[in-house]
Parts: sequence; structure tokens; C-alpha cells
Amino acid sequence: MRSVVDFLTHYGVTLLLVLFVAFPLTWMVIASLTPANELFTSPPKMLPSTLTLNWYRETWQASDAPTYFMNSLIIGLSTTAVCMIVGVLSAYATTRFDFPGKNLFLGAALASYVFPAILLFLPLYLILNALRLTDSLAGIIVAHIVVSFPFAVWMLRSFFQGVPRELDEAAWVDGASYLRTLVSVILPVCMPGLFSTAIFVFVLSWNEYLFASVIAGSAANKTITVGIAEFITSFDVRWGNIMALGTIATVPVVIMFMFVQKYFLKGALEGAVKG
Amino acid sequence: MSLPGIFVIAVFIVFPVVDAVRISLYDIDVLSDIETFVGFQNYLEVFRSPNFGTVLFNTAIWSVGSLIGQFVLGFVAALLINRNLPGMKLVRSILLMPYVVPVIAVALVTRWLLDGSYGILSHSLQQADLLAHNQSALANSTGAMIAVIVANVWRSFPFVMIAYWAAMQGIPREQYEAARIDGANKWQELIYVTLPNLVPVTVTLLILRLFWTVTYFDLVWLITQGGPGSSTEHWPLWIYQEAMGFFRFGQAAAIAVTMSVTLIFCWGLYGVWKRTGGGK
Repeated sequence: MRSVVDFLTHYGVTLLLVLFVAFPLTWMVIASLTPANELFTSPPKMLPSTLTLNWYRETWQASDAPTYFMNSLIIGLSTTAVCMIVGVLSAYATTRFDFPGKNLFLGAALASYVFPAILLFLPLYLILNALRLTDSLAGIIVAHIVVSFPFAVWMLRSFFQGVPRELDEAAWVDGASYLRTLVSVILPVCMPGLFSTAIFVFVLSWNEYLFASVIAGSAANKTITVGIAEFITSFDVRWGNIMALGTIATVPVVIMFMFVQKYFLKGALEGAVKG
Repeated sequence: MSLPGIFVIAVFIVFPVVDAVRISLYDIDVLSDIETFVGFQNYLEVFRSPNFGTVLFNTAIWSVGSLIGQFVLGFVAALLINRNLPGMKLVRSILLMPYVVPVIAVALVTRWLLDGSYGILSHSLQQADLLAHNQSALANSTGAMIAVIVANVWRSFPFVMIAYWAAMQGIPREQYEAARIDGANKWQELIYVTLPNLVPVTVTLLILRLFWTVTYFDLVWLITQGGPGSSTEHWPLWIYQEAMGFFRFGQAAAIAVTMSVTLIFCWGLYGVWKRTGGGK
């Protein structure tokens, strides 16, 4: 009897929490499929009588949404590429060798990881401005590297630390260079970790709003998150379009994250919590 | 091999931080690009500003509310997924979702749910006579603050959940067995075995989440822009508005440096706690 009560409590609380998490997202998807005449009824209705893809069609065809989407993709992939290449080298060097300034480097990376974007925002903006990189994709990419790089280093480090040093030493004895050892011995072992770090960096960049909104000036350089906010004008808020574009921006990252969450959990935990 | 990394950190992180300190001592005119050294003038203006008290108060409410919310939910969620019951793996995946959803989507859905005429949540509150007819919960200062805190808790509790869950998995089985031999029930196991084991991770998490919450900008900006009035204007929003609203870069930098110094002080306290044997 006691265990039945226990069981029911467990699932009851779980259900409440799942509803709390799922409610806003479900609502977004439903609203994006609701016809205009039913979206704007007062009092609001729980469920629409019919579903429509009109908001998606309109958002995709009549606005700059495809450009925003491509920009986010380009920025996300470039950020990921730089963070991974530089991050792998840094993480390998700091897990395998001692060199002067190593702790300073790791400390600085950690500090920026705990002092997020807004603190770096002002000087970074002025620097990009001086370099004439505002209103360009390159400027946004630079800003996103700043945001993601420290995280990439710490996460990669936790995966590299899991690889026994004997593997490296065996390769060195066989005459492999450090770089060769990294590429043909260590990286293949860490594939799941590399993959999940890359996806995490991509998702960070894809979701970032603050820097992208300040740096992107013209429509040609806006990202999808900035594009969503564009549907709020001083005249009206175009909820249908917002919900459709919001869904378009959310679904891919949620799916990607689900694939790698197992590895992500390992890396994030060892990197962030134990450190 | 680590040179590229050192380059990235030095150019994009260390340099901007040093530069922020420098800017805070200057009066910068963006139009003419003229910088005038003004010493601590910007700091004095910041401390004397009538906004200072309000912003500090809002930051405190926002941070304490968000921290309590995410720690309570995160802890409960960790307890739930820590048990080997059917379906808990799926639950874990679902509960992790808020962590990767774009902030802009969270913010705008919040606004939509709380819309005065068409929002289901504001409508329910109006039915319950907690709101005036056709009024949005975001139109009153308490409602707006609660809304941004709840949205933030929604978004950030998964992080706490994962950290607690990992810590729970690290507790040696023997401790539970010993407690059971001594006749402890489930509650006593929770209080005498689980909780004490979670103290170190809680302190580390608190400091991480505190920094993150105090400096977190996007969500509040996108839901309320600091309004109504300045009732949800917190530290990062103030920096942003001074810089991008009034182009007072010097003052904005002075506020940013003040904020960093406060946080570094907290970090220092944490360091002292760790060195004096806390968590061991």
C-alpha cells in the first residue's frame, strides 16, 4: 500500500513538472497552426477548430525569414568550426602539457564562462565598431566565438581527461608528433564528445540574441532570433508569424540536442560542476 | 598548440575586460569620436543616480526569486529522474528541453500567454478577479516581475537538475545501506544521507547560477524591456540602456565594472569557503 502511494506521488509530481515544461512550447506550436480569425478571439480559446499552415507559408514567403535562417546557419557553422579547431588544440595542450600561463589561460576562460555576455558586451561592441565589423556576419561570428569558446574548451577538456595518457605516450614512443597523436589517436576515441560539444556550440550561437541584435544592422545580416523580434513593430505584434518562426527556430535545435544529450551530460557535468 | 586559444582569450576576453575598465574612466562622444578623461566622474554619477537603488532592489528580487525557483524545481526534478522507474529516461529528455530553446521563443510565448486580450493566462487571471478586464499581467509591476522570474526558472532549472542528479549518482550505495540497517525510512535517508552529500555541489552551483542570473539580459529585455516604468529594470538592462539607449558608454562601463567587482567579491568569498575546507 505504501509503495503504491509512493509510486503515484512520484508519477504525479513528474506529470506536473512535464506539463510545466511542455505547456509554453505546446502553446507556441498550436498558436502557429491556428487560423487568424481564431487566434485573435477574446476570451481566448484553448484549441482551434481547424489547423492551418498559413502562418508558415506567409512567414517563409512574404518576409526575409529564409535569409535570417541562412544567416543563422552560416554564423552557427562558422562559430562551431573556429571554436572546435582552436578549442581542440587548447584543450589537448592544457590536459597533456604544463606550460607557463596555463592556469591563467584556464582561469580567464572560466571567468568569462561565469561572467556572461553582458559584461563583455560594451567593449566588444566598441571594438567591432572600430574594426568596421558591425552590420556584418563576421562581426556576429566574432561575438559568438567569444560567448562559446570558453565553454567549448572546458567541455572538450573533460572528454580529453577521460582518455588515458598511456595512449598518447605509446604514440609518442612510436615517433608520432603531438599533432599527429591528437589527430589519429585521441580524436577518434573522443568522437562522441567532439560531436556533442560541436552541437552545443552551434545551439548557443543559433539561440543567441543580444549580440546578434546589436551587431546586425540591415536585414541582410539578421539572424533568425533577431528576425523573430522584427515581427514586433510599433504598430502591431504579428503573433501568428512570431509563433511560426519561433517554432521553425526551436524544432531543429531541440531535435539535435536530444540526439547528443547523453554525451552532453557527461561533458557538461565534468566540465562545469566538478571544476 | 595552445597559442590560438591564448590568442582568442587574450584578444576577445581579456582585452575587452581591460578596455571596459578604461572606458569607465572616460567620457566618450560617439558622434565626434572624442574621448575625454574624467576619472571617477562616471562612477559618482552612477552611485548618485536615482536609478541606482531601484536597479539594485530589482536585481536582488530577480536573483533571489530565480535562484529559489530553479533550486527547488531542479532538486525535485533530480529526485524524480534519479529513481529507476520506467519512463524516467524520457522524462529527463523532456525536462532538459528548456535549456536549449531559443530565449526569444520563450520570451515571446510568455508575452503571448499574458496578452491582455488574447492571452490564455491573463484571461484566467482576469476570470479569477486578480486582473482588471483586458489587462495584461505584464502591465502591473508585481505581475511583470513574477512573469520574468517564472520564465527564467522555466529556462534554467534543467541545469540545476542535471548537476544535482550527477551529484546524487555519486553518493556511495553503502551510505544508504548503512542508514537502512539503522532503521532509517525514506525521509530520514533523504535528510541524513542525500542532503549532506549535496552541500558541496549546492555551494558551487549557487555561485555559478548567481553570476549567471545577475548578468542575464536577454529574457527580461525581451519580455518587459524593464517595464512597466522601471519595475523590472535590473543591472544588465541598466547597462544596456545607458549604452544603446543614451550612448553614455562611460557610465555604462562604470555600471558594468561595479557589477563585475561585486561578483568577483562573491567569487572571492566562495574561494575562501573552499580553501577553509568547505565541501570536503
